Amino acid sequence: MSAIRALDPDRSGNGVSGGAQLPPHAAPTYYDRPLLKKPHWEWEVIVYLFLGGVMGGTGILIGLSDEENGDAALSRNARYLSFVLAALCPLVLVKHLGRPERFLHMLRIFKFKSVMSMGVWGLIGFSLPASAAAAAQLARDGVLGGRLRFIGGLAPRALTNPVGVALGAFICGYTGVLLSATANPFWATGKRHIPAISVCSGLAGACAANNLLLAIFGGNETTRRKLDRLEAVAGLTELAVILSFRSHAGDVGKPMFAGRRFAKLRAFTLLGGIAVPTLLNLLPIHARAKTALASVLTLTGGYVLRETIVESGKESADDPRVSSRQPE
Amino acid sequence: MANGFFTDTTLCIGCKACEVACKQWNQLPADGYEFTGDSYDNTSALGASTWRHVAFVEQNAPLGAPPTENKWLMMSDVCKHCTNAGCLEACPTGAIIRNEFDDVYIQPDVCNGCGYCVPSCPFGVVDLLAHADYTDSRHFVSDGRTHDDATQTTGGVAGKCTLCYDRQKIGLVPACAKACPTESIQFGDVDELKERAKKRVESLADRGVDSYLYGVDTATSVGDLNAFFLLTEVPEAYNLPSRPVLPSTHQPAGYASAAITAAALALVGFALFRTAAR
Repeated sequence: MSAIRALDPDRSGNGVSGGAQLPPHAAPTYYDRPLLKKPHWEWEVIVYLFLGGVMGGTGILIGLSDEENGDAALSRNARYLSFVLAALCPLVLVKHLGRPERFLHMLRIFKFKSVMSMGVWGLIGFSLPASAAAAAQLARDGVLGGRLRFIGGLAPRALTNPVGVALGAFICGYTGVLLSATANPFWATGKRHIPAISVCSGLAGACAANNLLLAIFGGNETTRRKLDRLEAVAGLTELAVILSFRSHAGDVGKPMFAGRRFAKLRAFTLLGGIAVPTLLNLLPIHARAKTALASVLTLTGGYVLRETIVESGKESADDPRVSSRQPE
Repeated sequence: MANGFFTDTTLCIGCKACEVACKQWNQLPADGYEFTGDSYDNTSALGASTWRHVAFVEQNAPLGAPPTENKWLMMSDVCKHCTNAGCLEACPTGAIIRNEFDDVYIQPDVCNGCGYCVPSCPFGVVDLLAHADYTDSRHFVSDGRTHDDATQTTGGVAGKCTLCYDRQKIGLVPACAKACPTESIQFGDVDELKERAKKRVESLADRGVDSYLYGVDTATSVGDLNAFFLLTEVPEAYNLPSRPVLPSTHQPAGYASAAITAAALALVGFALFRTAAR
């Protein structure tokens, strides 16, 4: 006789959860207490997910920009921006650990199986070409003059651009994989959607941030229109994937796609952060103020999206009904 | 050789000696004095400083049924020490290791409190020790030190059952198994425990008690559990997942999805920036 036998399913339904009578075949819960632990991540991690996406997307934009044909302002801004973000991101991560010196523990191993380990090395990997390219840009811009001018030659664009694109794309995407490769029912249900959403949101955010810089500090109007269009493509793709996720997730998606959290997501991200800026971007008006407005809306939408995904994961972990049969 | 636990819930009398012995040996802070009203369970769940938890499942027979159909089930829950452990795979510092007894152990001095193991455990076992747990002066460890001393090394890091690594090192049985008065918690070589457990299931069946082993010969991605259970109800009744999934199995789909999206958008971007509007 096998040691494992199926139990009579009829026995499973009576009164374990206390409270309401369960339908006959529904699985019981243990006093409705959470079966899983929810993540402890607070604003630091949400900010990092957002900034990391913008940083990775900016790395991609540096590679895309046609520096010799009018996009020089974009390349320059993007190099400085990615350097600043590459400096900020580790600071936010260190803050969330509580004890700063503990960040160094991440550096004692390289672990393919751990998405977080891969991400830390990706972040460090990205910061090297980003810093080198920013230093070279400073030299080209004449800030590092005199004896320091040689720095400009140390980071050839032919090297830093492609490395930045590859690692930038990785940083855009890995944060989504990091969330979905967990036991959290909401995140794991989105194992195909959340990484794609992260990439789209990161690139759209990067287009918006760089467009904002061009609108403030001035730049080629053609460049701004290119960014407008790429932002529209990324944003609409993001919208499509979010809607696909909604129908795929069903009941497990309720923390994100129902109630007040969904109202906020709809207002700030789906409409305010994607639909409205896309319309603005595709309008044949090329005022700087319009670009700035669309950019701020997109960036706000990107932050609210990350916040919604993280907070929905926390709510999902608290529901023992969806935690018991975990998504394959 | 793998050492583990066989927890036979049909022998558990709900005395919580395992909880107390665990707290005492491992110098873990008390859980406070919350009164939950959930049967005799005021511990509620496993946590960063609660490594054994006795669950009390009350099932009332429908009106008119003989009172012998009322059920009161007790189970001492613990870290499962999975064959394929989600927490261990997720850990970015290498703090979580598989030790020489094949158990999953968190090195507290290496853990940096990133918290990634917490959502990566399919059983909801591991959690972060709050800094507050250890700075609250109400909590005293057995030798009279306050946990203010302990916070220097362990505040804010992940905590869970060590399967009494330190006791095993010197040939002692883990504290919970030692304290259990009914041998509901049995410690030993996992293969031997499995043989014993299978015989127990058969012997219970001969006496008309339906039972099964949870975490033995499983087809799940977490594999067999080094701390497995004999249960008489569905797993959900004890707050155990009926289908635990190893989180890293989601990685290929996630990376592929990210790579395809990034490649497609980069191509569109290349077309927009390098060919159009020149």
